[in-house]
Amino acid sequence: MIPADPPRPDPDALLKEAKKQGRGRLKVYLGMAPGVGKTYEMLQSGRRRRDEGLDVAVGVVETHGRQDTEVLLDSLEVLPRRPIDYRGRQLMEFDLDGALARRPSLLLVDEYAHTNAPGSRHPKRWQDVEELLAAGIDVYATLNVQHLESLVDVVWKITGVRVRETVPDSALSAADEIELVDITPQELLERLHAGKVYLAETARLAGDNFFKPENLTALREMALRRAAQTVDDQLVGAMRRQGIEGPWAAGERILVLIGGDGMASSLVRAGRRLADLIGAPWLVAHVERPNQPPSDPAAARRVSEALKLAEQLGGSGVVLTGDDLPAAVIDYAGRNNVTQIVIGKSRDSLWRIVTGRSLANALLRRSGGAALNFVSAGAPDAAREEAPPRAAGPGPRRWGGYFGGTMLIALATAIAFLIDRFSTGGDLAMIFLAGVLISGLAFGLRPALWASALGILSYNYFFLEPRFSLAIGHAADVFTFTIFVAVAAASGWLTGRVRDQAQLSSRRAAAVTALLAASRRLSGAANQEEAARVLAEQASAASGGRAAVLLPAAQDLVVAASAPGAVELTTAEMAAARWAWERGEAAGAGTGTLPQIGWVFRPLVGVRGRAGVAGIEVDARSAPGEERLVTAMLDQGAVALERAQLAAVTVENEALRRSDKLRAALLNSISHDLRTPLSTVMGSATTLIDYGASLRPEVASDLLISIREEAERLNRYVGDLLDMTRLEGGALTTRTEWTDARDVLGAAIQRVERRLGLRTLSRDFPAELAVVQVDPGLLEQAIVNVLENAIAYSPDGSPIEVAAYEDRGSVLIAIEDEGPGIPRADIDRIFEKFRRLEEPSDRTPNDRNKGAGLGLSIARGFIEAMGGRIAAASPLFEGRGTRILISLPKTPVAIQAPMAVAS
Amino acid sequence: MVDDDPQIHRFLGPALDAAGYEPVRADTGAAGLAAIAHRPPEAVILDLGLPDMDGKQALARARLFFHGPILILSARDRELEKIEALDLGAVDYVEKPFHVGELLARLRVSLRQRLSQQGSPVVVKAGDIEIDLDRRLVTRSGEAVRLSPREYDLLAKLVEAGGRVVMHRQLLAAVWGPANVDDVQYLRVFVGHLRQKLEPDPAAPRYLVTESGVGYRFVAD
Repeated sequence: MIPADPPRPDPDALLKEAKKQGRGRLKVYLGMAPGVGKTYEMLQSGRRRRDEGLDVAVGVVETHGRQDTEVLLDSLEVLPRRPIDYRGRQLMEFDLDGALARRPSLLLVDEYAHTNAPGSRHPKRWQDVEELLAAGIDVYATLNVQHLESLVDVVWKITGVRVRETVPDSALSAADEIELVDITPQELLERLHAGKVYLAETARLAGDNFFKPENLTALREMALRRAAQTVDDQLVGAMRRQGIEGPWAAGERILVLIGGDGMASSLVRAGRRLADLIGAPWLVAHVERPNQPPSDPAAARRVSEALKLAEQLGGSGVVLTGDDLPAAVIDYAGRNNVTQIVIGKSRDSLWRIVTGRSLANALLRRSGGAALNFVSAGAPDAAREEAPPRAAGPGPRRWGGYFGGTMLIALATAIAFLIDRFSTGGDLAMIFLAGVLISGLAFGLRPALWASALGILSYNYFFLEPRFSLAIGHAADVFTFTIFVAVAAASGWLTGRVRDQAQLSSRRAAAVTALLAASRRLSGAANQEEAARVLAEQASAASGGRAAVLLPAAQDLVVAASAPGAVELTTAEMAAARWAWERGEAAGAGTGTLPQIGWVFRPLVGVRGRAGVAGIEVDARSAPGEERLVTAMLDQGAVALERAQLAAVTVENEALRRSDKLRAALLNSISHDLRTPLSTVMGSATTLIDYGASLRPEVASDLLISIREEAERLNRYVGDLLDMTRLEGGALTTRTEWTDARDVLGAAIQRVERRLGLRTLSRDFPAELAVVQVDPGLLEQAIVNVLENAIAYSPDGSPIEVAAYEDRGSVLIAIEDEGPGIPRADIDRIFEKFRRLEEPSDRTPNDRNKGAGLGLSIARGFIEAMGGRIAAASPLFEGRGTRILISLPKTPVAIQAPMAVAS
Repeated sequence: MVDDDPQIHRFLGPALDAAGYEPVRADTGAAGLAAIAHRPPEAVILDLGLPDMDGKQALARARLFFHGPILILSARDRELEKIEALDLGAVDYVEKPFHVGELLARLRVSLRQRLSQQGSPVVVKAGDIEIDLDRRLVTRSGEAVRLSPREYDLLAKLVEAGGRVVMHRQLLAAVWGPANVDDVQYLRVFVGHLRQKLEPDPAAPRYLVTESGVGYRFVAD
């Protein structure tokens, strides 16, 4: 037996709950109509909360002059409003920024459905509330049920009033609590008549017969149902979070099918109502047919608006692709357990209905269990469209096609006349067919059909007996004419389609080419700045407008690149950009945030998160097809930016890692090289202290000598470190004077003599040597370092040779040893700091004589500081030996001073 | 004495000589191992940094045939190295630079420990503290000190080591059991208790000495 899994909490529900953490809580006072007392109720609750010690403020409340409400308001803190100039009038709007700055625990906001004055941050007040909640402020708000988006149609049908200020259903679902403020319609009407309800507001509604008892009853039912549904939702949510199994999994699921026609948003609302009725999740789908020519822009806009509406109403929108519309729908429905399909009645052409190929029929035949719901054209969407787009009709280019077709047919007629004049029996119909074909190829499908119709008429009128009439005399001509009509129509249709498709594919090819070019250039971008620049250029080229790419820098966004030319963004545009960055949503033109500005800003989201923001100036000329291209380009740009950012981080990390390694080497060196001589000093000293009395005198003096030697070694090492610090800190000052290199070499040799051991040191100095302008102290230290290195790396008893000589422009000093030499690969690296440390420091022979690996590095620093050069050559012979060559520039001697030459 | 640094031999040889030992000098690991095999000494002082092999390797190989105490000399102060050396069988370690007196004291402790293994002393004294391992009795200035069983076990384990360092893991395994070898915080707490009860100044312990990162040491007279 398989043990049943214990019910697990639904991750989505938990996620939703987690998202709410830190958010403010929203309580909505829901009423059926104005005048039921929502504001009064809200203010009273607010006062109660304040009396409980909560920090309560009133963001915006309309008292409409009602006494009892104003009394309530008196004792509460009311935030000042913000004046907004709008068409010469000053509107006092809710001050969102003020409220955010004030940060009360609880804010009271009237009229949840209010539309803000143009120029506000958000078009709607519920969006202001959303931002308050996100900032962690609790909000009480009031709402009348007729303002709910999904009920607009129903309210319109019942009351005849079309509500313009709407709130998406999701904004109400977001409420943590809904309080229904309910009085009976009778009571409301009495209050209305008693003048207790603000009349100016209700005058319009009253004029529309809004306040009829039957209307109010219907509205009241809607309010009650919506409140009850929210309670249901909360219960279900709680059950899901706790992993309680429920009936929803096997429940209904609704699929609403929309097209580009005027019914799209009506269908969405119908779907929502059905979903509410049966308590089922719902989806809205649109099917795109890739092999069809793109639908007109108006239709595309209607579809995208309807999908947006679906999201607002709490459904989800999908775009399916497939040439076979019913198959695509059935396939999707099957995979998503859809039980109800909603379609519009007007979706099929008469032709399809007559031939039984209507969508409804196809779905019925193949739907396999899902119920079909038909919705007739209800509230015309067009009534809701502020300004029907002019672009829907044929543009000037299209008319050009019809004109061209007409001209071609006229030409064909003329040619036919000529042929008819000079020969007989020629098939003049072919001339017209040629005209139709050329129209199709040149102007596309519709002009071709136009040309074929024109050709048929012209042929009939001018050339079929009886001429100059549309009648047909001979029976044989009827046959010829019928054939001609069929052939003309078919060839016009075919060539037109061929041409349209060719154009479509060439447009697509151009888009793909542009995308490829962008992709290539983006992937070639070496750093963030370049990627941003390329992206701005490509986005500008693709959209036809100006474009800018903004990247985060020091807690803010800055314009990293723009095209064409530099772009200055206004404060409002920057605000939209920041919004897009912070929320990860598009902002600006055509969006819900700051739609009045001329730019749209979209977050650039890569694989790992947001990489920046792209701004594109909205251009009325840009075609909808380019939208997709721009989107794809921005996606690529986001990935390229992200990659560049990652690369920058990697380089930074690498540099850090290397400096860490160097620091570790330095510490290691100090701990080893300081401790080794200290061990001897301390060990010898303590031996002398503890056992001095019992030591033989020569042993005791040997210990004292070793203490001195090791102290000297320590001193040299500390000196090295100081020299290095001086070199690195740029604090090295050279005091140059005319110097004989032989003197300096002699002094340096003297300093290392005691450490030579059994090694022999030979000198090879010429009798005459030019003087050089150097700092003798630094030169001596450099030579000592090189000599010490030679001693450290050569076996006891081997020779070390020091030579000095002149070469054209310089004095050269060469120091050779017969040590094991340096591997060719390492020859350039021996002058690096801590070079020695890459060997295991404790295990090299001759360790006692070695420094910290700083000696040669310091020598190079000093020599180069004096304008000289130092280089190494190895091996010298039989794979052994190293030569260090120091060259010092011979400067022209200004004053020929007599020099004491030591030999 | 196995060390590649001639300067160390230069003072350590005379010091050992003066203290009555007979030092044998070896400059490489191989020479050291040969000398130990040729004529097993009483004790070995081994430097971890050797030219021909890693000192730990020399230690491991010496342990195959030499059972006397091996003391480690190391310029490296990395705890991990010390722990590894102790795990490999070293009895104690001294960090460079060091006092000759300290090194010789550790050497004496190691040698005494070796002797005591045959007939171990059951009463250990440190200042005014007396620990009678046979009777599980701890007195301070003649008065009995009350210790919990864990505290006593911990103290006994340290005392039995005879002044050598005992690693955290060894203490934890012996007192708390093998499952608790990583719970070093137990040790801190219990050593703190012991110091409160035994040390003249618990803030500056004289008898229960911390070896940072390695373990604890009981320093008797």
